[in-house]
Amino acid sequence: MSKHTSDQLWSLLAYVVIIVIMIFSLGPIVWTVLTSLKPEADIVTSELQYLPQRITFDNYVAIWNRSGYQRLISNSAVVTFLTLTICMLIGTLAAYGFSRYQFRGRNQILMVYLIIRMFPVVLMIVPLWIIMRSVGLLNTHFGLALAYTTFLLPLCIWMMKGFFDAIPPELEDAARIDGCTRLSALFRVVLPLARGGLVATAVFIGISAWNEYLFALMFTNSQNTQTWPVGLALMVGEFQLPWGALSAGGVISIVPVIILFGIVQQALVRGLTAGAVKG
Amino acid sequence: MSIKEPTFDIDIPARRPGIHPLALLSKVSEGRYWAYFLILPSLILVALVILYPVLHGINLSFQELRLTRPQNNGFIGLEHYRELLLEDKVFRIALWNTAIYVGGGVIAQFIVGLVAALALNKGGIVMKAASVVVLLPWILPSVVAGNIWALMLDARLGVLNDIFVNLGLLPQYKAWFADPATALPATMVISLWRGFPFFTLLMLAGLQAIDDDLYEAAAVDGANRWQQFWAITLPMLRPVIVATVVLRVIGLVNAPDLVLLLTNGGPGYATQLISLYAVQNAFTDFDFGYAGAISVVTFVILMIFTALYVRITRASQE
Repeated sequence: MSKHTSDQLWSLLAYVVIIVIMIFSLGPIVWTVLTSLKPEADIVTSELQYLPQRITFDNYVAIWNRSGYQRLISNSAVVTFLTLTICMLIGTLAAYGFSRYQFRGRNQILMVYLIIRMFPVVLMIVPLWIIMRSVGLLNTHFGLALAYTTFLLPLCIWMMKGFFDAIPPELEDAARIDGCTRLSALFRVVLPLARGGLVATAVFIGISAWNEYLFALMFTNSQNTQTWPVGLALMVGEFQLPWGALSAGGVISIVPVIILFGIVQQALVRGLTAGAVKG
Repeated sequence: MSIKEPTFDIDIPARRPGIHPLALLSKVSEGRYWAYFLILPSLILVALVILYPVLHGINLSFQELRLTRPQNNGFIGLEHYRELLLEDKVFRIALWNTAIYVGGGVIAQFIVGLVAALALNKGGIVMKAASVVVLLPWILPSVVAGNIWALMLDARLGVLNDIFVNLGLLPQYKAWFADPATALPATMVISLWRGFPFFTLLMLAGLQAIDDDLYEAAAVDGANRWQQFWAITLPMLRPVIVATVVLRVIGLVNAPDLVLLLTNGGPGYATQLISLYAVQNAFTDFDFGYAGAISVVTFVILMIFTALYVRITRASQE
């Protein structure tokens, strides 16, 4: 077999493999979208319909107007925004500090931030629940956002540190020779250069907070603070939500996630790789 | 230094009376404590929301603390650990299930993830587009993932049941989550679907970092693709593989989301995992002390695993 035919065979194999894996990845999502477009009667038929014979948007209207659904979405948006604000403000500063300066305890602190990821969720959820209940933060947006920082802040710091490490310190040195303070060098030189990394980190943190289920289930107990994953899960349990509406609810909630992910995917991959592989 | 004292720092224009907050910050940035100033907010937050609660949680594991029976609360030493390790049959089942769920899960996710990464590494516009699609399940929330698969595996309406019956693989529709023999494997398939892209993502980055010259040199020496894979690709990927396996094991051991949503540990104890068992003890029975003990044991197991795994992989490398 000549080298040329061998290359072509391998190439063919790669495409076959990736098509199979894409079907595995995308199939379930496509099925959910198809289900969300069928009238309920066509979902529960005895003869399974693969493609919808009648397309309807009734399921989307039904779930959107369902009492409390819009409130769930807005609660999630508020919690996500608060989480993002806390993590990005504090995380960016810390990541920059770790990236640029050597100081006593630096490596130990970085190590602690890594080990934190090993803590079992329940080990933190229970005491955090007790503490938040005693200071009145249970069942508040801010309390839930604070709880999210337990796993998102260390991640944010490691990711952002990777992006800052990639920017040559010489650029700041040059700015400082031109009379910038360290602070203005940070804002005028470093942050604009790290813009892509900032956005990618923010998107990743945002998606994680938007999707989170376990903390939200434990830390919220009323309509005023419940987020959409909790609301959707409860609707399934309590009201026997029809499959069509459930699928529509799922599709509505993941559309923003998929769009944002598509936009920043490349930068995100770089950031995650830097953080995870070095760690 | 008092606030009203005038300063003559070159960065601050003299026309500003007093000290502007930004100017003060600029001044701090020139001082020797700037690095500490940068990381201090994160240290305070981590101490408040992570370290203090974790210490509190470890302390809880030595206490009897039940919201439902407050009269018995108090220090009981190692009693929870004794009960957990020596008497609790459910914990033993959960430990065994977790070993299967995590062990089998990581191996399956690693293999599918690596195969996908090798294919995507061919490059080109098609593969770039494909990589977005392949990574999608990884960013979906557990609630939606659970619903999607619950619908596809439904005993009356499940499309996968229909496909399997049409292909002759199944005599009739099956209630996958109601049968103790299939409940855990079905959950593991969902976990594979959500988890393999993580391996793909990181190993693809690892593959792209390998120098092409290595392969060319090997080809000149007459090594075929299979030999190149074992002699170059796998050894070069080793650090990435070690890191991703550790992260994934930690992630799977600590995440009760899927079983909580799909089976709540059932039928019987067929899908009971230690993470779920801790959650149930904490928020169904409100037995905080016992839940704390389960979490501490989980953490110790993870630490031992990580230390051993890193040591073994390091030793076999030398």
